[in-house]
Amino acid sequence: MIIDQPSQDSLQESQLSSCGNVASRARWVEDAGEAEVLDSKGKLWLTTGVTRGGKLYYNVEEIGFLAERGALVLLDDEDETIGLEEIYKKIAGGNYGCSWDAFQAYKHLKVLGYIVGRYGVPWTVKHSGTCEVTDSPKSMADTERCSDRANGACNDITKFLKQMHIDGIYPSFEVHLPNSKFKKSCPGVPTFLLCLLRDKPPSRDELETVENKFEGIPLKFCQFDNGRISFLSFDNVTLPSLP
Amino acid sequence: MSGPRWKKAKDGKDFSALAAASPMSSIVAELQSSLKRSRPVATISSHGEDAILGVSPHQAILLNQAAFGRFVENAGGEKQWFQLGAEEVFYLCHALKCVVVELESGKQMSEGELWDHLCSASESFPEMYKAYSHLRSKNWVVRSGLQYGTDFIAYRHHPALVHSEFAVVVVPEGAELGGRCGRLKVWSDLLCALRASGSVAKTLLVLTISSSICELGSPDCLEQLFVHERTITRWIAQQCREQRCEPCRVEPSKEEEGHTRETVVLNYWGVILGFTVLSTLLVYKLRF
Repeated sequence: MIIDQPSQDSLQESQLSSCGNVASRARWVEDAGEAEVLDSKGKLWLTTGVTRGGKLYYNVEEIGFLAERGALVLLDDEDETIGLEEIYKKIAGGNYGCSWDAFQAYKHLKVLGYIVGRYGVPWTVKHSGTCEVTDSPKSMADTERCSDRANGACNDITKFLKQMHIDGIYPSFEVHLPNSKFKKSCPGVPTFLLCLLRDKPPSRDELETVENKFEGIPLKFCQFDNGRISFLSFDNVTLPSLP
Repeated sequence: MSGPRWKKAKDGKDFSALAAASPMSSIVAELQSSLKRSRPVATISSHGEDAILGVSPHQAILLNQAAFGRFVENAGGEKQWFQLGAEEVFYLCHALKCVVVELESGKQMSEGELWDHLCSASESFPEMYKAYSHLRSKNWVVRSGLQYGTDFIAYRHHPALVHSEFAVVVVPEGAELGGRCGRLKVWSDLLCALRASGSVAKTLLVLTISSSICELGSPDCLEQLFVHERTITRWIAQQCREQRCEPCRVEPSKEEEGHTRETVVLNYWGVILGFTVLSTLLVYKLRF
């Protein structure tokens, strides 16, 4: 994959270096399809993972990204290390809410310092079970998801699997610009939503459908070619009438 | 969308002021009224799309300023000759109603007959013309984009004054049009168009022409065709901005654009002088 030099103020760089080469540890929870963080070194957690009831959880793409950089050691129930090969299998298998392509897109942006979260997943949820009002984009599923908070990532997975059968295009990630002041409790409106495109370019209908669902938030689209990623905008415009 | 890139005069100032002083709508209006007075006849080739039009020297200046057709060099004489493309001749005939078209035999054609003739010469004429007239009616200057791998290129004013902003690809859809072999249906085609337009610093503009009707037999169908505008741009994550060019390691080829520039530059100064004279005349007319 072609990755250019990261931006100078890459948040990830400073966060990773502050680890001091000591990795965080997380335990894989099969039922939830994510890892519960046991000890968190450095400041990675400020822009990675979701906080539920005071605990930090990483999903598969976050685990993959951190493990590749030596910033995370993933453990199983018996405290044995789960190696990178196993982590890659979990991602590639597509059963935990992320595909291999989605992981490539996630990594590409994270390396450059962008703050990336799964679309529709609140960054933080309070313990009491009442849904914290977040600024994540409105969707019908939000209220439903809040009441099923205890099931963690499983609902995300169900939603992801449903999305795969939804006709048309749906956002995979919400993306924020690199921001040292980013707070999970108040993430703000994403800079854009990222949709992954499949084997052919989107039709006009597909574009208009997804634009109508997410009015107001810019959409970007991501196309894959053997590890090379293209980010595209398909903007609806109106050429001005000239004098 | 990024703004227009105006070309610069010898004194270093750009031509935006000159363009503002001579709006394209006024130039086209003056061309239209001048042609209507003399009713020139364009001869269309029997099996092709191109037409040849003879006009007076003053009309030739206006045709040049409005960027219609290609001037045909000749030894001199009273008439100046222009070669017009299919969309151009139909626009002058049907939209501006200032030119009459006839076959080599001398037989004059009605607008409907001209439509049939152009449709049989090119299957995609209905959607190409709809796109062309859509842009022209907004006073954009529209020229062929084939040398850039697209259907048209669109300029904010005369090509002598400004670089073109858009490389235009026309995509048909709908009942009658949808069966055609359309563009941008596979990634290789879309990314190729994006790269081609980016290498000449233009934004890729996709005009999707949709129709709900099945009848394309007369120019009346034009009212039932709808134009959807969309740009396709590449976003560079490393630089956090939209970019017309791909972040490629290969130098973009400037040869194509350079060649075009050379062949047209001889006409440029004539056109610019013409604009200066025209704007002075317009000011003169307004004052008195």
